[in-house]
Amino acid sequence: MDLHQLWTILSAPDNIAIVVLLLAVPFYAWYGLRQAFANDRLIDRLEADPEMAKTHHRKTQPYRPEWDKEVHVWPYLLRIEFLAAIIVTVILLVWSIAINAPLEEPANPTLTMNPAKAPWYFLGLQEMLVYFDPWIAGVVMPTLIILGLMAIPYIDTNPLGSGYYTFKQRKFAILTFFFGFLVLWLTMIFIGTFIRGPGWMWFWPGQTWDPNRVIFEVNRDLPDIFGITSRAGKFFFGATVIAAWCVAAGVFIHKLITATPFSRKIYRRMSLLQYAVMQFFLIGMLSLPVKILARLLFRIKYVWVTPWFNV
Amino acid sequence: MSERPERDPVVHSSLSRPLVIWSALLVVVLAWALYDETYGIRPWKGYEARFRKLYAGYLANAGLGEAEYERRLKASPEYHRLDAEMQAAEKAARPEASAIDRRINSGLEPKILALNGSFQEIRSRIAALTYEIETTRSAGRKNALRGEIASLQAEVHRIELPGEPPQPMNFDQISTRLQQMKDEKARLLDRRVEVMRQASALRAQRDQYLSDRIPNASLATIASVQHGLDKFDIGIRQIHVADIDLVDRCESCHLGTREPIQLTAAAMGGEAVFTSHPDQDLLKIHDPEKFGCTPCHGGNGVAVTSVEKAHGENEHWLWPLHHKENIEAGCQQCHAREIVTEMAGTLNQGREIFRLRGCAACHRYDGFDREAEEMTSVSQQTRALAQQKAATLREAGFRVQQADQAATNAEARRLYQQATDLQVESSQLDAKIDELDQRSHELVREEKKTGPDLKEVRMKLRKEWIPVWLKDPHAWREGTKMPTFRLDDSEIRAISAFLWQSGVDPEWGRPPGLPGARSAHTTPEQTAPGDPAKGKEAFETRGCLACHSMGEGAARQGGTFAANLSREGEKANYDYLVRWILNPRQRTAPYCPFEKRDLTPADYARHNLPYVFDLDHDKCPNDGHQLQVEQMTPMPSLRLSQDEARDIASYLMTCKRPNFGYAPAAYMDDPALKARGLALVRNYGCAGCHEIAGLEEEQRIGTELTREGSKPLERFDFALLLPKAEAEGWHTHKGFFDHKLTDPAVFDQGKEKAKQDRLKMPNFNLSKPEIDALTTLLEGSVDPTVPESYTYAPADQRADIIEGWWVVRKYNCMGCHRIHVGQTTVFDTLPRYRDPDWKDQVPPTLIGEGARVRPDWLMRFLENPALSDKETNRDGVRRYLKVRMPTFYFSGGEVRKLVRFFAALSSQPEPFVEETLEPLTAEERTMARALFTSPGAPCLKCHMTGDPAHDAKATAPDFTIARERLQPDWTRRWMLDPAAISPGTAMPSGLFTHQDGRWVFAGQKPSVFNGYQKDEADLLLRYMFEFTPQELSRLRAGMRN
Repeated sequence: MDLHQLWTILSAPDNIAIVVLLLAVPFYAWYGLRQAFANDRLIDRLEADPEMAKTHHRKTQPYRPEWDKEVHVWPYLLRIEFLAAIIVTVILLVWSIAINAPLEEPANPTLTMNPAKAPWYFLGLQEMLVYFDPWIAGVVMPTLIILGLMAIPYIDTNPLGSGYYTFKQRKFAILTFFFGFLVLWLTMIFIGTFIRGPGWMWFWPGQTWDPNRVIFEVNRDLPDIFGITSRAGKFFFGATVIAAWCVAAGVFIHKLITATPFSRKIYRRMSLLQYAVMQFFLIGMLSLPVKILARLLFRIKYVWVTPWFNV
Repeated sequence: MSERPERDPVVHSSLSRPLVIWSALLVVVLAWALYDETYGIRPWKGYEARFRKLYAGYLANAGLGEAEYERRLKASPEYHRLDAEMQAAEKAARPEASAIDRRINSGLEPKILALNGSFQEIRSRIAALTYEIETTRSAGRKNALRGEIASLQAEVHRIELPGEPPQPMNFDQISTRLQQMKDEKARLLDRRVEVMRQASALRAQRDQYLSDRIPNASLATIASVQHGLDKFDIGIRQIHVADIDLVDRCESCHLGTREPIQLTAAAMGGEAVFTSHPDQDLLKIHDPEKFGCTPCHGGNGVAVTSVEKAHGENEHWLWPLHHKENIEAGCQQCHAREIVTEMAGTLNQGREIFRLRGCAACHRYDGFDREAEEMTSVSQQTRALAQQKAATLREAGFRVQQADQAATNAEARRLYQQATDLQVESSQLDAKIDELDQRSHELVREEKKTGPDLKEVRMKLRKEWIPVWLKDPHAWREGTKMPTFRLDDSEIRAISAFLWQSGVDPEWGRPPGLPGARSAHTTPEQTAPGDPAKGKEAFETRGCLACHSMGEGAARQGGTFAANLSREGEKANYDYLVRWILNPRQRTAPYCPFEKRDLTPADYARHNLPYVFDLDHDKCPNDGHQLQVEQMTPMPSLRLSQDEARDIASYLMTCKRPNFGYAPAAYMDDPALKARGLALVRNYGCAGCHEIAGLEEEQRIGTELTREGSKPLERFDFALLLPKAEAEGWHTHKGFFDHKLTDPAVFDQGKEKAKQDRLKMPNFNLSKPEIDALTTLLEGSVDPTVPESYTYAPADQRADIIEGWWVVRKYNCMGCHRIHVGQTTVFDTLPRYRDPDWKDQVPPTLIGEGARVRPDWLMRFLENPALSDKETNRDGVRRYLKVRMPTFYFSGGEVRKLVRFFAALSSQPEPFVEETLEPLTAEERTMARALFTSPGAPCLKCHMTGDPAHDAKATAPDFTIARERLQPDWTRRWMLDPAAISPGTAMPSGLFTHQDGRWVFAGQKPSVFNGYQKDEADLLLRYMFEFTPQELSRLRAGMRN
């Protein structure tokens, strides 16, 4: 266990933001969920007790009927925001005084640094380069991510859960977010920052980043495993596998969407276009970890090999 | 949730406490930010404040001591004289000067001031109107404005000048009058300078006298510095060199660097940061305003936020400050063309090791071993040109054929013309080939190898010694150039077998009728025994020790340029030694680089040529290419007699340890080992230093080092030592070089590698200072960070100095001669030469050689130091010396370089200007002769006369060669004050004294001199430059009588 190596990575000024992120995101996820569950319990009580619903506001605050049901933004909200602004200012000031910008040597076109890493917020994209063709990982996927985020308001047909924390009423949205952001995006940033060392090799935390390390790792294409050598054979085999996967994933997602009466109700509100767009992005999202695992666990490089692109 | 609060917490709970706490924190952090901004990231402010305090304290103390010293100095008669002269001159000039001052101050100046106001006012109004004219479009308006200007100019003002009645003046009059007064003032000021000229010159002289004698700083300097310190402000001090875009702020902390007072750490309260630059002379040449600091020292000149960053020792800064022991690395980037750079001792040592130890044999480095590269390029060019010429001639032949069969006359003429043109072209190619030929002829002499020729092993060496030597050369011979390769026994066997079997067969080409000689290439005389005792004397006095050393450990004596010969008798063959001493350049067989083999007598016989090859017969009989006809050793010939060579060889054969012995090595004749041996020799790059049969054209096996210092650190293979290097702080260029040189195999540690894949660089057993010197060179071998114009590449005589040093180093001239001030020669270290009797036996110093001798003579002398083709067993100039200037067989180019080098060192004009002397009259000749032989000037007592009995005791050269050898100007200076030119010389000083503007002989003069009014030193000089052998014999005859 090379603690010095671990400390070197953790303490690099570049990585401070990531370390904070790794702690802060799960904490706030937990904190938000806690509030959401509390709200859900209150909603259950209010739904069960119409008398109470008449006088009680829909917050989990301690409450007495003689208190105001609503309070003004000023000063009750703004003073809290003001305090928060002060706290954030103090933190940012201390940070900027204590830690300088992590500048490195002037760029040398004849020398690539090892490992050559993107800024932390792009490390997830860079990690995707390991699993896909550069133009898929670098162009298609980021575009899809942006388009997918843009599409959310248009495919979201659930009218509930606006303005307060709730899990019960937005299970699907929250789980999708957790999967896309926490599992995919953050995990890849984590891998890119802490796991990938010189030569973009896989180093477990605490393993020394030795630039001279040599490992044996041969990746194969899926058709090779099945002994398919001809170009056409590879093309059609790959296309078949991909198509089969899309169908299977689509069915799986459809089952998820229509799992409960509530979600079926939402599903019925969707138009065909909305549903198709949602399926498209969800299948794409689901494919990513599958490909990563296929690569990491079974050393499969590409599934669909064509002369023009590889997937 | 046990008890509900009475009041709504959202409305009634107070946030004051967190708000107060965080606001207080915010204020604290803001204060911190302010502090950080002002002091935290500006540590130099503290340095400046401390410097000011310490410096003021130091100055106050220094002033006291200096004052006493200065008072004493001012009391000296010399100072009094200068001061009195100055005062007198000032007094004489004072009345006129004060008259001028009065006229200017009370007469002119107030009037100029008074008039100037009116003048300026009108002029600015005119200027404003003119601008309006220029920018107005309307012609009418322009004219109106012009009129306005005219009226302004014509307007009459009432001008009142001090001391004059008011008068009416228009603009022109004002301006004329003003100009007149200004001219008058300038004239008066000029006059004042003229009047005071003598006084100010004398004042400067007086102050110079003081400042020359005050070691540190005069009171005046101290006072001015103190005054400056009063105005000391705290701010960034930076050097900005605009044309190289350089900003160096080093002096923001290193405030004492350029102080006029030399500051030591002790004087500044132990703070080394405030010391002055240790070498002010260096700073004078490299003015920091033009060169900055970081181009030489490294570091990050812009950074001032922390010491670590300013010194560039933080990660990612590419050029950290050079360590103290490698500080001269900074010189190399601009002085890369030199082998000797003044004031850079460590760097020079590094270059010398690099050259002498054969680093350039494996590692290319621009400038080093360039003869070998040039040789290759010349032969390639020759080959290409020859092909081109053949093609041209072939083409010309075709044209002639076509022309012969041409249909029309016109067509035939055209083709003939083309053929002629092609023939002309081919003769132009011929001229180019000739030129290259000439160069290759020279290069044959210039190209040297670091180690001996291994084709000669069978003649030269004891067979069984070779494996012993290969095992560990440093164990056998301490400090040898040959490095230790990490060879195992089987490798040693194979290499020895290969070398032995590829050597020239001693029996090869043995002429019939030479029985008894061990080798065919030594004559019977060379095998006869000599006298070791005489040989020892000759070895120690002839000059062998200038390069070679003798004795081991503490008993070691002599130079380090060539091998230590203490155990020579254990390895060498006697007859080969005799041959080698007689002429080390003699080759056994010429090598043809075109056929890539040594030529045999059969090759010559085929062309009915005798087997003769030397510098005059150096073309291949088979193909006409340049042959290598010399051994590629810098060892010169001492032009010894056969007897002496035998004596020395006999002596060397006695140099051995008692009871030495070698294990038999029969395997060396095993042909089965040869192939493996060849592969190993190739693998280890032996042919870089040695000439080896079949491997003459091998390339260098190492990486190029010309720019090694700027190679990115990531490209250095620290291998498994990387984590260690990082942890121990030597993951730097210096760290790599130091560790690699200390143990060249260090980066193989822990690696699993086959033998042939391991690092090949052998161990040179370098000492710590040697490693520092080499690291200095390598650290400095960078892509220059400054533009080309900063590179030291002078076009004048200094270029000759750069080139000359390469030759001087190549042949170790400094083993015998002192070439620059402060240098020691090997003779200074030899105990024998400390004896007073031997003091005059050391080789002459060459400081000022360019001024002393004529360049044409020096050229002849360097080509043939015996100055004779027949009598070679002598020294041309100083026959009384036991040591002898050897024959180096310099190429023409090398001789020229040396001659120009000496001329440039002595700042002689280029080209050489001959000084003509007035011929002697008959009367003067009689006088000179009388003086020359008078008891007061016993010139011929020490100078050689050609009489063997006398010359045996002589300690100075012959006069007969003075005319062609010496330069009159130098000779004059030498006669007048030899001690000033060569301290400690046997030539007496004070032969002449200065009287009434001429030099007269100081001793008793012959009577003929009565009434002679001319310069007597000059008379003697002119006599010397008309001296002939006839004159000498005449004098000798006269002396005998």
